[in-house]
Amino acid sequence: MSTTTPVPTRSAGLRNLLTRKGGNKQGHTTFVDRAALGVAGLMVLLALVGPYLAPMDPYAVDLAKSLTPPGSEHWMGTDANGRDILSRVLAGGRTTILATVAVIAVATVIGTLIGTAAALGGRIVDEILMRICDVGLSLPAIVVALGLAAAMGPSLQSAVIALAATWWPGYARLVRTLVRETRDAEFVESARVLGVSRTRLVLRHVLPNSLSALYVQTTLDVSAVMLVISGLSFVGVGAQVPASEWGAMIAASRDTAITAWWTVLFPGLAIALTAIAFNLVGDWLRVRTDPTLRTGGR
Amino acid sequence: MSGHPTQGTPLLRIQDLCVSYPTPDGLKEVVRGVDLSVSRGERVALVGESGSGKSVTARSVLRLDSEARTSGRVLIDGQDVLEMNSKEVRRVRGARAGLVFQDPLASLNPVKTVGWQITQPLRIRGMGRREARRRAVDLLGRLGVADPARRFDDYPHQFSGGMRQRVVIAIAVIAEPQVLIADEPTTALDVQVQAQVLELLGELAQEKDMAVLLITHDLGIVAGFAQRVAVMRDGKLVEEGDVDRVYASPRHPYTRALLDAVPRIGDQPGRRLGTAAATADPVSVSPEGEEL
Amino acid sequence: MLSFIAQRLGMMILVLAGLITVTFLMTQVLPGDPARAAAGRNATVEQVDAARERLGLDQPVHEQYVSYVSRVAQGDLGTSVFTQRPVIEDIAQVLPSSVELVLAAMLINVAVALPLGVVSAYRRGKGADLSARLVALLGAAVPVFWLGLILQAFLSARWGLFPLTGHLGFGSSVPTVTGMTTVDALLAGDPSTFGEAISHLVLPAITLAAAYIAVVTRTLRSTMIGALDADYITLARATGASEWRVVISHGLRNALVPTSTILGMQLGWMLGSTVLVESIFGRVGVGAYSVTAVLQNDLYAVIGAVLVIGVVFILANFVVDLLQLWLNPRLRKGKRRERAGADESAAEASDLAGERT
Repeated sequence: MSTTTPVPTRSAGLRNLLTRKGGNKQGHTTFVDRAALGVAGLMVLLALVGPYLAPMDPYAVDLAKSLTPPGSEHWMGTDANGRDILSRVLAGGRTTILATVAVIAVATVIGTLIGTAAALGGRIVDEILMRICDVGLSLPAIVVALGLAAAMGPSLQSAVIALAATWWPGYARLVRTLVRETRDAEFVESARVLGVSRTRLVLRHVLPNSLSALYVQTTLDVSAVMLVISGLSFVGVGAQVPASEWGAMIAASRDTAITAWWTVLFPGLAIALTAIAFNLVGDWLRVRTDPTLRTGGR
Repeated sequence: MSGHPTQGTPLLRIQDLCVSYPTPDGLKEVVRGVDLSVSRGERVALVGESGSGKSVTARSVLRLDSEARTSGRVLIDGQDVLEMNSKEVRRVRGARAGLVFQDPLASLNPVKTVGWQITQPLRIRGMGRREARRRAVDLLGRLGVADPARRFDDYPHQFSGGMRQRVVIAIAVIAEPQVLIADEPTTALDVQVQAQVLELLGELAQEKDMAVLLITHDLGIVAGFAQRVAVMRDGKLVEEGDVDRVYASPRHPYTRALLDAVPRIGDQPGRRLGTAAATADPVSVSPEGEEL
Repeated sequence: MLSFIAQRLGMMILVLAGLITVTFLMTQVLPGDPARAAAGRNATVEQVDAARERLGLDQPVHEQYVSYVSRVAQGDLGTSVFTQRPVIEDIAQVLPSSVELVLAAMLINVAVALPLGVVSAYRRGKGADLSARLVALLGAAVPVFWLGLILQAFLSARWGLFPLTGHLGFGSSVPTVTGMTTVDALLAGDPSTFGEAISHLVLPAITLAAAYIAVVTRTLRSTMIGALDADYITLARATGASEWRVVISHGLRNALVPTSTILGMQLGWMLGSTVLVESIFGRVGVGAYSVTAVLQNDLYAVIGAVLVIGVVFILANFVVDLLQLWLNPRLRKGKRRERAGADESAAEASDLAGERT
């Protein structure tokens, strides 16, 4: 745009997120925040290169070494099939984290489309879409996802689709609120006066400015989604044995859990550590981006 | 700031009171050496703009801010509240000194009936339910609440602002304290209601021969209510004296400025209402200082 | 007040309709031949054809939908290909046991989270607060099923503090009356069996409760901080009330309004989470039933379980809405518009509803 109006650009939301300084006393970055950022970053890295870091083949069966306790050779021990658990945890991160990201990405896209449509589409559209969201939010996600995934045929793909299909209403509602707020903001008004088209207005000015709160919410949701997706794998509608997905690893080792605790301990710790890290990062982002966020203080 | 002749020994005596709060930048002193006394049956107004430390002074009498660091003495009937342990302070609160709060909307518990709240000062001191209720209904009627027996079981949100403030007053006086501190009791109310509430407060005080300390920023309501006035600024008293004397010939320029800011009957229409801060000292007072 | 009830009732019916539609969609996305799925893997051609006819699968979709709704309304959730019994009967048999587990977990949830949230808010920034926040952080991050396995491996198998699995010890039994082992043991007047039933219930209930404890502690902490900062707390102190009374009668009583909404929703969520817990501890219940059904590829049983859990979830939420009337007088007698606050708790509650576990 070649006008002189100070209209925020496409990346304003993201840029705000990365550069805005926390104004209140909780806004500064503590040691815990740094550690959480570090762990979360490490986990993302794991998703990218984890399989290459694995010291052994995560799928190599060696029955002679079945259920070896943690030791110098196998730091996290081996499972019933003699597979190195450390290698499986490193390799499994990719599956679990990518599945989580996929759920959130799909749910966010659907939620953003529906939320925007509800906010800008007039009263009737808004009413219908929001009632659908209410219904979606009023059903227990894990059970609906379980049924959907089972119906589609148990696989990680089914679990991801099923969970995304139950997860979007939360985002739709959030985006609707955010868009309604920015819709009435001054710079949008001035862009409208300048004759910017409606679609362009939405895509270039309204949405990008609504997004930073959405980024925060998605970060906070990582742990919840990860827990549900690994839970779905655990009950058998997600990743299938022998995949080295963390939840499926625990499921595969449930019969040996009593005698060989290490077979379930480490994959579970990996899930918990990632979940904690993302929760902390989400909280940190929330305070940083908007100390007065309505959902704040919880 | 010399002592004025008062009737009898003071019931409430504040001596060299200093209050400070811990902030990220260290301790911030809000009240800096205040001396004030109120005798039985006397009504004293403590006047100042917001941020002057007058509310903090009021709350310090009942030690309501756990974070505050206080020094000096606050004597109620000769006993120093600042020296008491927490159990002794609780015995003073509500029973020997009552406090009327500023915002009747926020200071009533939204999920309890007004009756429950009014009877608390009696109930926590062991009075039976029936007797407490009888007294509360009497008091509500006395305070001008219509059909008090039925209203007793209503919730705060079913009351108007003025009626809620009567409930707040009832809570403060039901246990018949000798000292009553009213912290901006009318600020949140409509102008017509303000006068009624003040009048009620005055009548009650007279009936029970209480010592009343009225905290306000509004010199306009002081004249008809108090006998003595103390003017506070930046944590210190700048002037104290009989209302008539202070109104007729204020000694401190700040008092004069405060008085000039009060609209009076007979004022020229269109005459600019200056704020005290702007007139007296345009530099040192923050913009929040102006509330008229 | 009546409009509030009518509104919630309308919402409940809408959600029920949504649930039935979603489960209908599940029957539609079945890969391959739905008639074959309904008839079971080893069914003969005649059996498959009979199932097709019975389910009206040769009809157009909208007619299938209508007949599906009418069948569900009559309690016909199909037949389990595994047990060869009507799904509704199977579930009716195991549901009480799940309810027992959920109630036990709720008891633990309230008993732990309430004190923790209150103390944490009251002693903000102190040691107790930090430990409460740690509990909240861990509880929200630990996978339920993993916690179950770990507790079982250490507390039961290794240290022998609790029985490993099941409802009762080997050889013990009680006549089934309600389907809840603890209640049945009491009805049978058998205290030692009752003790056994309780000891079998403890670990699964703790496992189920953990994540919810985290949420309640966090919610209560923040609402309690808000309540304790309110003016009416200062006023309560100014009347000479003891700190205990100030914190409980005034602070907690107010913080309970939004917290109770969360607790009520959790009843439904917990029933859903039994899916992850019951099978670990070898308990009978609707969660274990649906997991078995998934493993057996018994889709009508899975969908039936989803439907039943969903209905219980919706009913629980409705009951909680009604409970709000009792807890929040501003909903009951709305003579006067409130400046703010009246809608706050509702907004906050629906806000928190988004935070699913």
